Amino acid sequence: MDKIFRDKKAIAIFIAPGILLFTLILLVPICQAVYYSLCDWNALTKPNFIGLGNYIKLFTNDDTMLTALKNSLFFMVFSAVTQQILGLLLAALLTNIKKGRNFFKNVYYLPNVLSSAALGLLWSFLFNPRMGINQVLALFNVEGPLWLMDTKGFIILPMWVIAFVAMWQYTGSTMMLYMAQITGISNSLYEASYIDGASKWQSFLHITLPLIKPMVATTLSLNCIGSLKFFDLVYNMTQGGPNHRSDVLATHLYNEGFQYFKYGYASAIGIVLLILCLIVTFLVNRFVKVEDYEM
Amino acid sequence: MRMKKVVAALLASAMVVTSLAGCGAKEASGGDVVEIKWMFWDDLEATDDLISKGYAQVIERFNQQYEGKYHVTPITTNLEEYDTKLNALIAAGDCPDVYICNPGPNLTTYVEGGAAADLTDILTNQEKDWYGNFTEGIFERMTYDGKIYAVPTNFAAALVFYNTEIFEAAGAEVPTTYDEWLAACQKIQDAGYTPISCSAGTAWCLSMIAGYLCDRAGGPDNLKNANEGTGNMWNDPSFINAGEKLVTLSQYFQSTAAGDSNDQATAAFYNGEAAMLVQGSWAIGQINGANPDFESKCGVFSFPAIEGGADPNRMIVKTDNLVMSSTTKNQDACIALMKCFTDETAQKYTAEVGGKIPVIDVKYDESKAPAQLGYVMDILSKSTGTFGFYNESLASVEAGDCFDNAMVDLFLGSVTPEEAFATVQKFYEENVYNK
Repeated sequence: MDKIFRDKKAIAIFIAPGILLFTLILLVPICQAVYYSLCDWNALTKPNFIGLGNYIKLFTNDDTMLTALKNSLFFMVFSAVTQQILGLLLAALLTNIKKGRNFFKNVYYLPNVLSSAALGLLWSFLFNPRMGINQVLALFNVEGPLWLMDTKGFIILPMWVIAFVAMWQYTGSTMMLYMAQITGISNSLYEASYIDGASKWQSFLHITLPLIKPMVATTLSLNCIGSLKFFDLVYNMTQGGPNHRSDVLATHLYNEGFQYFKYGYASAIGIVLLILCLIVTFLVNRFVKVEDYEM
Repeated sequence: MRMKKVVAALLASAMVVTSLAGCGAKEASGGDVVEIKWMFWDDLEATDDLISKGYAQVIERFNQQYEGKYHVTPITTNLEEYDTKLNALIAAGDCPDVYICNPGPNLTTYVEGGAAADLTDILTNQEKDWYGNFTEGIFERMTYDGKIYAVPTNFAAALVFYNTEIFEAAGAEVPTTYDEWLAACQKIQDAGYTPISCSAGTAWCLSMIAGYLCDRAGGPDNLKNANEGTGNMWNDPSFINAGEKLVTLSQYFQSTAAGDSNDQATAAFYNGEAAMLVQGSWAIGQINGANPDFESKCGVFSFPAIEGGADPNRMIVKTDNLVMSSTTKNQDACIALMKCFTDETAQKYTAEVGGKIPVIDVKYDESKAPAQLGYVMDILSKSTGTFGFYNESLASVEAGDCFDNAMVDLFLGSVTPEEAFATVQKFYEENVYNK
């Protein structure tokens, strides 16, 4: 083994494909995006270097950016809280039942494997005033709200609707991760606690919870990053409308880049998004302290 | 070991031979045929749209007519992704030889980006006869600094379609002024029908009504002032007037207008749920295609006048245009294709089947054409001027969206008319006037 590690050439050869791929599809584009974010560029003509102009405009003179930032942060907090609680709850319940565990596991995970674009379309039909939910409400003489067009409130109704759909779609993946962690906990710990007279709730509180802490950091980062760069459901359900009120960072980026061909400006939004993701990952890892227990 | 080497050598040579064979085959079928690409925003095979079907026929006819000489391959996308894909192709230096394009800021982007070929010399010198066929003034919106950059393939005008049966049942008259229009709406509503079907979910549908009201209230000058930064710009009282009128009119829209898409709103009209629909004449093909029985009870009237406002005989019109790539190596083939799109056969189809207005002087069989086209032509012949979609007449695609969104906001009641136009004014101050 030692001999292999001393052979620098071999190491280089084995690492090369990975490094090459990583650089080509990640590092190079990121560096390019940083450069483009400092330019005025419409993709048809040559990029024109303008320094920090895009960033200054982004934070001082772009109402949509502020809305998108607000919506993205709301989305992140909502997803993190609901998915952590629901995911953990489902995982704890499912690991404790004997019959139908696999069935329910698949049911809860199913939305995850379906295409977000198709789901977005499906839910937008359900929330469309001419079909779906409002028609059912009309049977009871209740006039349903404009689920995807309402504009009142600090966080508008469409954002709650989309956040709900996202929760429905992604709770399954958080649940799966927690289930994996919980099944990894040795049964002898639980047996010992029952002998000492602990109730199920107590053993959950004092054994399960502390032992799944490493997974909290992982799922929380995944939740947060996933919801910060969230795009497909929003794009398919509201396209950011009405009047950009349900825009999130990714849809704002898409509009600026692919609709108005302001690729430089869109790159700047992309860089802001990247930095936000890095900050969130850092914070989560900093504050969710992970201790390794023998399990 | 030796066996392995032999096998490897055999496999490798097989690969080389087959790949060479691939090249050979390509050349054999290619021969001297000039291959060009044409890009379009609808799937030519899956489409229900009568105009798209006509385009598919043109492509087929072109490939037959010039067999052995030219061959065109269509690149198709859906409408929403069209600009994105076209831009990506242009940016990658792989611009299609001929592509379709909306007039206004969209075309301007390609002209300014150097992706559109200057057709002036070809049209006015080399192909005088072809150029002479076109309806007068049709090239106006495709001309930049006196140079022509596109060729139109068809022409449509926006008006109010109405259901004659509902009008009769409610005892409503065809209105010529805004106040009469409101009165008719009230009568229809009292009779238990939805007066107007409109989509605010698809912003340009609502924005078209807003654009008409702006023009009826202030004429061509208010748009000119707004675009050039002269006069009162977007704060002009005529704009505010139009905004107020839009709010008043919108109380007669169907209750689901805010969420309905264009297709849903149009369907509500041809299914007899609503009495009126403000749409472009391109909707004729859709209406008659979806509900053939509706043709006999579908009337058309010009967008009503605003008393004390401007000329009520101006109409919103729109052309579909073909642009030739500035980098194409096969100009002759491109010109031949564009001629095919605008020849008599194609233009007759445009009117008789598609229900759109031809761009050349062509005699079409009026009895074959949809009844509504006749009414449209009638109104058009009395019109004193034309203007584009408001959102396509503004400084940029983004400015057009800003206008559309402001109108949707106004309709939803989240802002007042003053605030709505102030938003557009602010956009112009930041992005247009200072540059």
